[in-house]
Amino acid sequence: MAHIPGGASRETWRLTASVGDETRGMVVRIDPETSLIDTDRRIEYRAMEAAWRAGLPAPEPLFLEEDLQWLGRPFSLSAEVGGCQSSAELIPSERREALGREKWTLMGKLAALDVATLGLDGVMPPTTPETCALQQLDYWAGVIVEDELHPNPVAHAAIRWLRRHPPPPAQKLCLVHGDYRTGNFLYSPEGELKAILDWEMAHLGDPLEDLAWSMDPLWCWTEPQLAGRLLPHKAAVQAWEAGSGLTVDPAAFRWWQVFAALKGLGIWISSSEDFHSGQTQAPILAIAGWLMTDRQQRILIDYLSPSSPRRFVRDVK
Amino acid sequence: MIPRGAEAIQRLARRIGTDLIPKAADAYTAADLGFMTALLGMVAQDFDRAADVLTTQHEALVPILRDAAERLGDPDLAARIAAALDQPPASLRISDLTARADATLRLLIEAHAAVEVAADAGADWATGLNARIWRFLEIQTAAEAYQAAI
Repeated sequence: MAHIPGGASRETWRLTASVGDETRGMVVRIDPETSLIDTDRRIEYRAMEAAWRAGLPAPEPLFLEEDLQWLGRPFSLSAEVGGCQSSAELIPSERREALGREKWTLMGKLAALDVATLGLDGVMPPTTPETCALQQLDYWAGVIVEDELHPNPVAHAAIRWLRRHPPPPAQKLCLVHGDYRTGNFLYSPEGELKAILDWEMAHLGDPLEDLAWSMDPLWCWTEPQLAGRLLPHKAAVQAWEAGSGLTVDPAAFRWWQVFAALKGLGIWISSSEDFHSGQTQAPILAIAGWLMTDRQQRILIDYLSPSSPRRFVRDVK
Repeated sequence: MIPRGAEAIQRLARRIGTDLIPKAADAYTAADLGFMTALLGMVAQDFDRAADVLTTQHEALVPILRDAAERLGDPDLAARIAAALDQPPASLRISDLTARADATLRLLIEAHAAVEVAADAGADWATGLNARIWRFLEIQTAAEAYQAAI
């Protein structure tokens, strides 16, 4: 077994299992004692399973165990997707554009799935096209209010802005991955996207939510001209529209962009609280809590301040 | 006192990066050490600047909060702002400066919300004060930004 670095929401191990003549690589995801993201293991597993059954590239789900008698914490097993990388830094430059098109086309296909056929009734909180945006806002505003170690005027200003400018109802309800970004999928040495990972924030909601999250400037900090360090923003939206059959409404998308930055801030504030309260000593949570809070605040200020130069705003249409 | 504290912390970070990470037994340990190196770099930055950031923030907030108290017509908020601004920090320790900053930032959040309501209602003074608050947040966030190679 080998402990896989980088995951902040679950403890992740790679292992090889042998039964008789058959040997198979697997990945076990174990609930940590505390996590960057507090979510239900069953939701993560069922969302990944739904995507895999729908033919999207996701690790083959093998087993969900919620009985604590085996490892003391819930865990899941999935098939290992071997020979792949997830690091954005290691993507061959000549493959970025094609990989980017694949990424956003697949995201569009995820948005296109009919949620009524995915078997997720009763697994995820119910919502409607009219209420899904404010439900998400309420959740993340609650996380921020509960977990902030110091008052954060930028976060509170963003929450008020989002409440004062609600988006139109979602065009449809879809399975939102919740963290579909560069770094959360595996790609082959040839640059082909092989598996979408980390479904722990999956929920039912507005298709624009995943699109906005994937294009948050935090994911292209060193290369702001490329969404997710892969594609120009307009090209990413075109690929998503082709995959989903949906059209991006720029006004609605702006709400989801601000929301994505606020959600990120909520995650970083929460991880900082976990680290400082002593629930975990994992340095990745401190990195998230200190460095990402700083950057995400700068993004929100750029979006909302009347005097900002809009360094992070990009045309998407 | 540690002589040249920020520099000393940076040296420790470099030692982890150059000597210990190459000797890590596995990728997970190497990644952890890499994160610690980055974190120590951030600690070194705050070690040197924290007092300056906190006192500069307070000095910038005082006129904004006094203007908000005068304009908003909320006697309770005005009294709490006056009380907070009249109260010196318990000491110049970072913990005490931080406690004062927390108290004033809570008042800023409350005042900013009220200023937005007034601005939405068309009050010119509120539009101007809203812009000043955002400018303060821009400057403050820039002052707190970390230089990090990740």
